Amino acid sequence: MSLAIPIMSHASPIRSFFVWIGGLTLILIVLLGAGLFLTPYGPAEADFLNRLATPSVSHWFGTDHLGRDIATRLLFGTFWSLGLSLMIATIGLVIGTVIGLIAALSGRGGDYALMRLTDSFFAFPELIAAVTVAGLFGPSTLNLVIALSVVSWMKFTRLARSLAVALSECDFVIQARLNGLNRWQILWRHLLPNVIPSLLVLWTNSWSRTILAVSGLSFLGFGVQPPQAEWGAMLLDGKPYMQSAPHVMIFPGIAVLISVLLINLAGDLLRDLLADPR
Amino acid sequence: MSSILKRVLGLVVVLLGISLITFTVSHFAPGDKAMAIAHARYPGEQGFAPEILQSIRDELHLEASFWEQYLRWLGAVLQGDFGVSYNTQSSVWSTFVGSIGETVTLSLTALVFGLAGAFALAALAVRRPGSLVDRLAIIVASIGSAMPIYWLSLLLILVFAVHLDWVPAYGTGTLAHLVLPTLALAFWLMASQTRLLRSFILDAYDQPFIETLRLRGISEAEIFFRHVLRHAMLPALTMIGLDFALLLEGAVIVEILFARSGLGALLATSVLSRDLPMVMLLVMFFATTYVVINTLIDIVQMASDPRQRQGGQPTEKSI
Repeated sequence: MSLAIPIMSHASPIRSFFVWIGGLTLILIVLLGAGLFLTPYGPAEADFLNRLATPSVSHWFGTDHLGRDIATRLLFGTFWSLGLSLMIATIGLVIGTVIGLIAALSGRGGDYALMRLTDSFFAFPELIAAVTVAGLFGPSTLNLVIALSVVSWMKFTRLARSLAVALSECDFVIQARLNGLNRWQILWRHLLPNVIPSLLVLWTNSWSRTILAVSGLSFLGFGVQPPQAEWGAMLLDGKPYMQSAPHVMIFPGIAVLISVLLINLAGDLLRDLLADPR
Repeated sequence: MSSILKRVLGLVVVLLGISLITFTVSHFAPGDKAMAIAHARYPGEQGFAPEILQSIRDELHLEASFWEQYLRWLGAVLQGDFGVSYNTQSSVWSTFVGSIGETVTLSLTALVFGLAGAFALAALAVRRPGSLVDRLAIIVASIGSAMPIYWLSLLLILVFAVHLDWVPAYGTGTLAHLVLPTLALAFWLMASQTRLLRSFILDAYDQPFIETLRLRGISEAEIFFRHVLRHAMLPALTMIGLDFALLLEGAVIVEILFARSGLGALLATSVLSRDLPMVMLLVMFFATTYVVINTLIDIVQMASDPRQRQGGQPTEKSI
């Protein structure tokens, strides 16, 4: 697989991407805030007289087996499902980029050692590693974050390293070296700004995959535990009732599907902008 | 040939890394290992005399240094001895061999159906790029790859097992039990591969020799099946290799969801009961499978692509 290196002589595609994403995020936050402010229910507020109610005007998405309002819980679940996975993807981005750039700058021996270490970590399938770590150390939110972070950085390392290695043969980097900049100055001023755009594409991709992982592991009982309103945990909660009240498992699934779809689309948009900066 | 040798050497280094990571995780897992083994050896007993626990620790060198324990374990593993289960005191290897068949059956059936679906969808899409069919294929692929596999499984159970009652939802045994898990896994695989396959096929059509074949009067069908598919196969092979781990991983999750007996159930139960030898064997198996398959694919590519055989980089862009 060859790598196209977009050299950011003009920052406009990135800027328009951030305008897009920033705008979308703002709208989302306003909607979320309005929802949380307007909803008359709390995420843990049970109403035993109104259990498993189907969607209606007072409960848009119905209620679950304890009579909790599903719409309210989905809103609160945004912080768990989207927030946790954003955090994990960002941890992966930072750790991975640092290791990748160090590998690119260190000599052949250091580079080989770091990259074989990365390969070793890369060999463990994400979910299986996360199930193992979260299961052995006890299922909890913290262990879920640790487990998924440990397996989230390798892709960033590989990309950052290969981009940095290719960039360090570019004329402007050689010029900078001839001008007497040391390797850390070159790293900071020339390599990092040019690898970040491609890493951001991977970061959006990693974010959406992590949403699936977080909710999936919570659904299997290895992640965020009920009664927290994480979307996967909500599905786990609703599973015994899915035959009589399918709405308890339909809406959390749709929430995951739509978030992942939107973030994937944002990633595609960013990739297209980088490949073809008009 | 030296590049192949280098690749194999790298594989050995990575396998050592995998064993070290696996051992480290299990070494620092909470819980008293001697106590767990004592419970398995003397079932039904509650308290254990300190001498019994101490003798277990001495026997298994549990108090030796980290590196000594690692080397002892690695030595045993290299001789094919993965230890005995903390739960059943039987060899973990035989339990593993007894369960792997189910997982392999599920993975391979899903791989066949998923890839067939992906190839069909991609082939339909590239007939007229930008057409309605093409866009529909991309939409199906995008939604499919955003679909949580556990949710898809629940929906399948709800529709085909609960409401229509065509196939059983949970369990293992008959062919009917295989239908829903295969469907879930194959759909997910199809969705994740269609877009890449589509671009591989489009790339293949861009090759200059296709135009030559057309000028020679060879039919479009023959061009597609004999030349384009073959040309798209090489990048597709790499992609399938990379996604093979994903497939096994998906199979494990699907097995847990559909309560099938296979490696997934084995992983879930052994992780929750802290059966460390079993967990280590399973994790090592998944990681090793992944790196070995990818190394093999790299070597096949090096051998089949003359540009890589000489150690040079391929000049065409592959994606």
